[in-house]
Amino acid sequence: MTRVLVPLAILEGESVSTGLPTLLATMDVTVLGYHVLPEQTPPDQARLQYEDRATEALVDLEAAFDAAGGSADHRLVFTHDRDRTVERIADDTAADAYAITGTTGPVDRLLVTLTGDVAVDRLTSFVTELIGDREIGVTLLLATDDEPRGRTVLERAVASLAEHGIDVEPELAVDEPPLEALLAAAAGHDAIVMGEQAPSLRSFLLGEDAERIAAESVGPVLVVREHRNETEAE
Amino acid sequence: MSDQSSVGGANIEGDTPQIEPTVETDEATITDDAELERTLGLTGGLAIGIGTMIGAGIFVFPGLAAGRAGPAAAGSFAIGALVALLVALPASELATAMPKSGGGYYYISRGLGTLPGAVVGLSLWFGLVFATAFYLVGFGYYAVDTLAELGIAVGDDLVIPLALLFGAGFTVLNITGTENAAKLQNGIVALLLSILAVFLGYGGLDAVGLIGDPSTPEQFAPFGAMPVLTTAALVFTSYLGFAQVATVAGEMKDPGRNLPLAMVGSVLIVGVLYVATIFVATSAFGGDRLAELGETAMVEVGRHYLGAAGAVAIVFGGLLATMSSANASVLSTSRAIYAVSKDALLPRRASHINLRYGTPHIALGMAGGPILALVATGRVELLAEVASFLHLVMYGLICVALLVLRRDEPEWYDPDFRAPGYPVVPILGALASFALIGFMQRTSQLIGIAIMIATTGWYAYYARDVTLKGALQ
Repeated sequence: MTRVLVPLAILEGESVSTGLPTLLATMDVTVLGYHVLPEQTPPDQARLQYEDRATEALVDLEAAFDAAGGSADHRLVFTHDRDRTVERIADDTAADAYAITGTTGPVDRLLVTLTGDVAVDRLTSFVTELIGDREIGVTLLLATDDEPRGRTVLERAVASLAEHGIDVEPELAVDEPPLEALLAAAAGHDAIVMGEQAPSLRSFLLGEDAERIAAESVGPVLVVREHRNETEAE
Repeated sequence: MSDQSSVGGANIEGDTPQIEPTVETDEATITDDAELERTLGLTGGLAIGIGTMIGAGIFVFPGLAAGRAGPAAAGSFAIGALVALLVALPASELATAMPKSGGGYYYISRGLGTLPGAVVGLSLWFGLVFATAFYLVGFGYYAVDTLAELGIAVGDDLVIPLALLFGAGFTVLNITGTENAAKLQNGIVALLLSILAVFLGYGGLDAVGLIGDPSTPEQFAPFGAMPVLTTAALVFTSYLGFAQVATVAGEMKDPGRNLPLAMVGSVLIVGVLYVATIFVATSAFGGDRLAELGETAMVEVGRHYLGAAGAVAIVFGGLLATMSSANASVLSTSRAIYAVSKDALLPRRASHINLRYGTPHIALGMAGGPILALVATGRVELLAEVASFLHLVMYGLICVALLVLRRDEPEWYDPDFRAPGYPVVPILGALASFALIGFMQRTSQLIGIAIMIATTGWYAYYARDVTLKGALQ
C-alpha cells in the first residue's frame, strides 16, 4: 500500500479540509502533528504541557481519515526544526508522498504535473493508485523546451493512465516557465499532484516550489517523493 | 502518571517526579505518545561550549589574572584546563549514558540520590546566575570602552547601569522569542575565533621576537607559586561552559558521538586560546600594568600590537563574547530550573510555558531576576568565584557519581563513550575540583557554603519524600 504523510502544525490549529480524507481514502495515511518550539524551550518541557491536547486533536483527525474509508495513524513530534522532522518521519514511515493540506471540497479533477525530477512512471503509478476505481479526472501537464520529446513522454503517460480507465487530458506547455504554466493550469482543478524537487538555489531563496504552489492554488498539493526505500528500488 | 514502583514520592504540594520510559535514538527521543526531535549538531554544541567560555577567559580575566600571578597566570589557565578536562571526560561518559536536559544535576540525582541531586540542581541554578551576572558586568566594561573608542568618555560609573540594562534586555528577548539566536551564536563564535586567530598569531610572533621590537621578559612567577593556584581558582569561571553543553544533551543529534566531542573539544580549544592569550598579553605589558587596566586590559594589548584597529577589534570582540556568554547561560539557567522542577524539587509552575511565545517565562524570570540583583553588586571577582564554587561542587560530585555507577553498574547504564583512564581520571577530577575550592577567597567560600546549606534546607522542607536514584525518565 502507498503511504501519504500529512504534516500539520497541530497546536496552531492547522487541520484538514473535508475533501482531503476523501481524496486519500485509497491510501495509508500518517498524520504528523508537529509543534515547533523556540530554542529557549526544551522539547520535553513542551511535551509535558501540550501532549494530551495534541494527542486528542490527532486522534480526531485519524478518525476523520478512517471515516472517509482510508486507514490512518499518527505521530506527534516536538521539535526546533520543522523540515528535519518532516524529513525524518517521511523516511521512517517510508512515505511515498506528503500532503500540503490546502482547502477543498470533493475532488473531481486532479492536475498532475510531470515537470520535475521524479520519474514519470512513479508519478503515474501513484496517481493510478490514488484514484483507484473512483470517477476522478486527470489533467496531465508537462512544461518543456523540447517539444517532440515532451510530446512522446506525455503520450506514454496518458496511455498508462487511460489503461486503468482514468479520464485523462494532456496539456503541453512549451517554452513557458514551469511554475507559471502550472499555476495557469491549476484553475478548474481541486488538487495538484507533483514530484518533489531537488533543493536548488531558487528553492533556497524563494522557498520550495511545492509550498509556493500550495499558497497560490489554495487546494491541497500532494508531493510525491523520490524512491528512497531500497527494497522498492528494483 | 508516573510509575511509582521503585521511584517517585511526592513533594509537599503532592507533585511527583514526571518519569516515563523513553527510547533514545540518534535523531529523537521517543516516549509513549510523542517524539522529541534532536536538532543540535556538533557545531551547535561546540558553539554553546566555546561561546559560553570564551568571553570570560579571553576578554575579562587576563588583566586581573596577570596582576595576581604575573606571566605565570598562563599556568593558572593551564591548571584550570586540566581540571576541566579531568571532569569533562567523566561528564561525557555520563552524558552519553543519560542524554537528557539537566546535565550534571541529572547524573548526580540518578547516580547518587535525591539529596545530593537537589543540592546540586538548585546550586547549579544559583551558580549559573552568578556566572551570568559576572559575564554581564564584563559586558558593561566593554560597553563603556566601546563608547570610549567612539569618543564618548563616560567613565566606569556607567558599567553597572549598562550591564543591568542589557541583562534585562536579554531576559525579555528570551521570553519573547529569538528565532535565529542559535545560528547567530554559531556566527558570533566563528567571528570571535577569527579575530583571535589574527590577534594571537600576530601577537605571538611579536612576543617571541620574530617581528617588532624585542621585549624584555618579566620574571615568570614574580609572586611565587601560591598566587598561581589562587588565580587558577579565580579564572576557573572561564571553563564552566562545557557543562552547559550537557544541559542541552536531550536536544543533541547522535549524542553518543557529539556530546563527548563537544564537551572535551570545547575545553581543549578554549584552554589553548587562554594560555596563548595570557602569553601574548604578558609579553606586551607587565603584570602591574595589566592589573591597572583591569577587565578590559586586552583592549590595550590589542592597541599595543595592532594599533587602533587592534583595539577596535578587541573591543568589538569583547562586546560580542560577553554578550554571547551571558545569553547562553541565561538559556542554561532556565533549562536547569526546568530539570529540577520536572523532578518535583521546585514547584511545577516554574517550568510552565506561556502560550503567546512558547517560552518558559517563569524559569527565565527566575534566572533574570537574581542575575540583575547580583549585577548591581558589581563585584567581578566575587561573582566569578561563587559561580566556580557552585560548579566545582557539581563537577566533583559528577566524578563521584561516575565512580559509584561504574563500581556496580545498574542495568540501564550503557554509555556510548567510556572515559579513558578509569578510575584515575574521575578520582583526580573529584580531588582537583574540591581542592580548587580551597584556594578561593574566604567570602566566596562562605557564600557558596551558605547557598548549599539553603538548598539542603529547601530539600528537607519541600521534597524530602522524593526519590530519584536510578529513576530514568
